Amino acid sequence: MWNQGGYTESGMVGGYTQSPGGFASPALSQGGEKKGRTRATQIIPCTVSQLMSASQADEVFRVGDVEVTQVTIVGIIRSTDKSMTNIQYKVDDMTGAPMDVKQWVDTEDPSVDSTVLPPGTYVKVSGNLRSFQNHRSVVAFSVRPLADMNEITSHILEVVQAHMALCKPQTMPGNGGGMGASSTSMVRQGLGITGGSYAGANENPLMVINGLSANQNQVLSLIKGCPDQQGISIQDLKQRLSGISLAVIKQAVEFLSNEGHIFSTIDEDHYKSTDNDN
Amino acid sequence: MHRPRGVTWRKTQVTQNFPRAVVSSPTKQRPAKMAGILDVPKPRINCSMLSQFINRAVCFVGRVEKVHPTGKMFTVMDGEGNAATVELNEPLEEELSGIVEIIGMVSNKGEIMANTYNMLREDKGVPFDLELYNEALKVIHDFPQHYPFQVTASG
Repeated sequence: MWNQGGYTESGMVGGYTQSPGGFASPALSQGGEKKGRTRATQIIPCTVSQLMSASQADEVFRVGDVEVTQVTIVGIIRSTDKSMTNIQYKVDDMTGAPMDVKQWVDTEDPSVDSTVLPPGTYVKVSGNLRSFQNHRSVVAFSVRPLADMNEITSHILEVVQAHMALCKPQTMPGNGGGMGASSTSMVRQGLGITGGSYAGANENPLMVINGLSANQNQVLSLIKGCPDQQGISIQDLKQRLSGISLAVIKQAVEFLSNEGHIFSTIDEDHYKSTDNDN
Repeated sequence: MHRPRGVTWRKTQVTQNFPRAVVSSPTKQRPAKMAGILDVPKPRINCSMLSQFINRAVCFVGRVEKVHPTGKMFTVMDGEGNAATVELNEPLEEELSGIVEIIGMVSNKGEIMANTYNMLREDKGVPFDLELYNEALKVIHDFPQHYPFQVTASG
């Protein structure tokens, strides 16, 4: 839900960190719109192999086309090394050699759990990818044991879905793994090989691109497109969306406002989008 | 999978003269937790992919079926209902059951020579969905560009 309509790339960026640990990073609400501005506000599920293979330009890491800064990996701890100020783990997710993960320990803060996790524990690591003297590591702000081993499976699927969605901006991400109409030949090949249950028929490719219905998307795009300071009025919306009734427009506006996509300005009939570049 | 004839595996009874009809593979000479295999990519596979990964390191997740009385061999079943044979260097020191994740080399006969394993705990009440894991395997093998089991040179 927390993104800017499915028109630009990364329609489903906001949905990745479904960690039961409950990260509600406000940064997630900003999608990956790279209109000349670098917003390192996404957290991307990755494999260790992707992190080790990522290209680096200045401070920016890229896995293919995908810019990666904040990442999550899921793997098993192979070794632990605790010092006064930090804990160093080696986390193995089977895609390559175990990745170095460093977690700073705040000795002053009693609420921070600095219990060292033993080797053999499956964990989800969330942190930033760093490179120091050609050595890659992750500086973690969270190393959490998995509550449920199915998180391994879900992370695998999230990695593929995230990188696929972020790499192919024109392909509708749709439901996890399901391919939209504009699938590439590579994708079609994938469907052919498995004929598997995951690649089931994508019944409604138009729906649920970004969590908004078609009407809501139309209303939102008009509101976004308005350059006026006081925003666009409901009357204007009604005029420009002749196919939609006033009641439906008002419903859409109320929904968008509750979700935080728009806000009222001079009165309750005028709205602006919360994510304008104006 | 070739199983020696005339041998029945029972959990509690010791069978007689279980023929050691196994391929002598280099991994058997090394200690159980060899650092080397942990430092290479270990593609996640199921039984149907075993033949494509002969002499390669793999990661196999399955449900423990039968454990041989010697404790050095057991069978696991993957999410598609197929079984694979796993051999260990040292006999098991614990009761093995439930879902296990094995890292090892695939022998010429399609058996897994295990280096190390760990049980995936299901004690928190949520069972591990092996069928769903199998579906995920299909996804990662269909989209290796998005889930690489190799490290390419970084820029």
